[in-house]
Amino acid sequence: SFHFLMTSPFNCTLEKEEGLVEEEDEIDQFNDDTFGDGAIDDDWQEEHKRLAELEERKNDGLGGLGLGGLGMGGMGGGDSSTVQLPPPASRERGGGDLAESLAMLILGADPAIASVGGPAGPGDRSTGLPPPPSMPQQHHHPSQLPSHHHLTPSGLPPGPLHPSLLSYQQHQHLLRRGGAPMQQMNSHNIWENNMGFGPVSVTPGLITQMEDSPLMSIIKEVGLPNRPPPVMSEDGRDFSERAPPPRSSSPVIGSPPVRAVPIGTPPKQPMSHIHHPTAVHVRAPVHHQHRYPPSFPERISPNTLLNMANSPLCRPPFPAGVGPVLSQIQRAQMLNSQVAGFPRGCQGPPLLPGGGGFRPFFGQPPPHRMGPHHNHVPCPIIRHNTTHLHPQHRRMLTQRMQSRGGYRGGRVGDWRSRDPYSNLMTQREKEWVAKIQMMQLQSTDPYLDDYYYQNYFEKMEKRQERDRDGVRKEHTTKLITPQVAKLEHTYRPVQFAGSLGKLTVSSVNNPRKMIDTVVTSRTDDEEKREKQVWNKRRQILYTVEKMYSLLLEVQDFEKRFMQTPEEQREALLEQHKTHTLQLYASLKEKEWDDRVSDEQCLLIMSVRKGKRLISRLIPFLPPLQAATVVMGIARNLHALAKKDKQDQALCWLVEPVAVVISSLSSAALTDLLQELQGSEGQLSKVLQNKFGVTLLYLILSEGERMQSSDLNCQLMDDNRWTELVFSVTRELLNVPPSSLSPPLFTPPNLLSLFSRYVDRQRLELLQEKLQISALSR
Amino acid sequence: MNYMPGTASLIDDIDKKHLVLLRDGRTLIGFLRSIDQFANLVFHQTVERIHVGKKFGDIPRGIFIVRGENVVLLGEIDVDKLCDNVLQQVSIEEILEEQRLQQQAKQKTEKAKKIASGHQNSDLTLDEEFYFNDSTAQDIMLTWDQALIPNTEDENMAI
Repeated sequence: SFHFLMTSPFNCTLEKEEGLVEEEDEIDQFNDDTFGDGAIDDDWQEEHKRLAELEERKNDGLGGLGLGGLGMGGMGGGDSSTVQLPPPASRERGGGDLAESLAMLILGADPAIASVGGPAGPGDRSTGLPPPPSMPQQHHHPSQLPSHHHLTPSGLPPGPLHPSLLSYQQHQHLLRRGGAPMQQMNSHNIWENNMGFGPVSVTPGLITQMEDSPLMSIIKEVGLPNRPPPVMSEDGRDFSERAPPPRSSSPVIGSPPVRAVPIGTPPKQPMSHIHHPTAVHVRAPVHHQHRYPPSFPERISPNTLLNMANSPLCRPPFPAGVGPVLSQIQRAQMLNSQVAGFPRGCQGPPLLPGGGGFRPFFGQPPPHRMGPHHNHVPCPIIRHNTTHLHPQHRRMLTQRMQSRGGYRGGRVGDWRSRDPYSNLMTQREKEWVAKIQMMQLQSTDPYLDDYYYQNYFEKMEKRQERDRDGVRKEHTTKLITPQVAKLEHTYRPVQFAGSLGKLTVSSVNNPRKMIDTVVTSRTDDEEKREKQVWNKRRQILYTVEKMYSLLLEVQDFEKRFMQTPEEQREALLEQHKTHTLQLYASLKEKEWDDRVSDEQCLLIMSVRKGKRLISRLIPFLPPLQAATVVMGIARNLHALAKKDKQDQALCWLVEPVAVVISSLSSAALTDLLQELQGSEGQLSKVLQNKFGVTLLYLILSEGERMQSSDLNCQLMDDNRWTELVFSVTRELLNVPPSSLSPPLFTPPNLLSLFSRYVDRQRLELLQEKLQISALSR
Repeated sequence: MNYMPGTASLIDDIDKKHLVLLRDGRTLIGFLRSIDQFANLVFHQTVERIHVGKKFGDIPRGIFIVRGENVVLLGEIDVDKLCDNVLQQVSIEEILEEQRLQQQAKQKTEKAKKIASGHQNSDLTLDEEFYFNDSTAQDIMLTWDQALIPNTEDENMAI
């Protein structure tokens, strides 16, 4: 057994031994901690050494009592109780003074305690009882319990100052480190602890259960649940250095949140309303530990008693409003009753406010109000959220409340503020939850989504109007649900140009829509038409391809010609001719007609590739054929121009056409011009096209050149040329500038041309419009 | 503050004492401290109340977090109302003992029922019973017949 270790002082080994002798016997009998569950396999010798050292240190600094008290208290051990058996004489150790003074302090400070019983003398209990390191959460059988009870109930319910300051584990730790100078144990300390709290942890929070102790208030202000507050004894010795580091997880469930000052507690007021769930909480399986001793006289450890005292039976685990659940007196009485003998196993002490129910709210009883008053204390809670209730219901409620003693709206606030655990959920959090709930109520059509609610409230309002008659209008609060306008939220996934798919960013609101599975149902007609178009196009392209191959051959002829030997040149030449003919033939629709097939030409020209082809082809054609081709182009230019708007691929034709034009005879030229003009309105379309304008200029320029250079020009032989030029001029003047496309180049001699045919005024206009300047001449 | 009148919002129930019935049949009483949108509940100073007959016992449990889907019903406890005169509170040991007895009794009756109806090994299927029953062919047939006969009469007899 370790009890002898608990003996405090360094001085009297002799005493120690004595105590040891005495204690051992009893320990064996009563202490199941030594050999029972609570036993620890530590080497007692080492333990002893450590403790001795510690005690030396302690005693140097004095104030060992505090820790001693701690040690004792924490253990609340039955052992301690047994150890108390030894006569007071043995208890008188050096620290006795301290114990006494401390006891006085505690007792003196607490009126309740003082009133109940005299302070237990220092000799009552032994200090320096090392509760076996493993704190018995079991029952200890304090044989002395009974006697001590009278003294202690001193209601130190709130327990001793010191023991409560360290958690149980801390006690243990201290012990192991030999830190507990269990010198003199203040009798109070043991019992206070036992009475007030579970064997397990006594946190500073528990202290709050004490009433009106100045020390308590200090501790309250400072202490954290797991840390022993700096001030632990009256001499202000700081034991925190001795205390083990706070545990990360407090074993005490229900300890108040870590705050310097608990919510709503004025500094001076006792925190008695913090009602710690009893030790029973911490022990998982309660029942097997919570054995009720059959009858009192048998060994009942303080723990057992404690458990019984703290059983849910006795103590509702709810914050007791302001007053302690059990007042000092009550507790004392209860204990007494228990001490006196258990009437029946588990019946609640008669003192307890009746009903095994909870009594969370005790109103605000002034300190002197206790016991029987508790029953009446709980005040009705004003329900502020009754506005949405049916008026009948509300009326009933108010009546009920009134019957309970009038409006005590203030009480509620009181209650709420006094409940230290209230408002764990902040306003923001409440609003957040409400917001989520409101979002779920969003509706574009409330009458569709919430038909019954809407109707109900409508009826109620109507009824109210009818009943009240406008005299007293009770406004019922109606929930206004958010009304969301119906919006079409279609998500169009982002797609980068040229990529194969869509951006893979999806969320709850825009789920992936990677593939557009849009079904385009086309009718048969449409399909046919589309098919036809495609077929035609394909055909044209095919033709163009074929012609290209021929063209390429023709183009390459020269090269090949040079390469082939003499003999084969003839053959090659023949071949070449054939090719050329073929080429030309392909442009013709009908063999017999020399004219270039318009259709064919048009078709080919409708394709861009075809245009390019023609442009390359023309140089290879014999002049006559080339001329006809150009004619054909000119003839169909108006149609082609429309198609060519985007591409302007016709411009490729400029060069070869220019060449052709320059070789044209005047008659041909005139013809060409005529072709170009074509029917009414044709020219305007032509003019919209760059190529068209350029072609026109080319023609005109050529004509001018002819006229100016060649005196024998037959251009003026007939009026055609003149007329044509006139019409052209007219057209040029009439056409709006916007639709006049700028040419690829402006031949210089246009001005002179125009000057021949138009008067000064028009000339100037033309000049402006066409931007032909005299300089360009 | 009046949160969402006309709706069943738990916000106004915070910090009040509630009784909640869980899907597994437990009854918890505690202060509702926190909620969320799934009606997950945080109970403080919770007590599990076991009812057996007219007796009940409270087991302190501390802090409970209940997943919303497991809640059958939840109601505020009127602290003003006097505690029931009908129900009698007993200690934890006693109520657990009572509960155990109740369970035992229940099991006995169940067993008796099964025996009476011929399903001795109720956790087995009929096929398995066939193989496990130590009986001759005739007996086996008998078992099968019994199994097929509706049990109502047997049950009454057993009870």
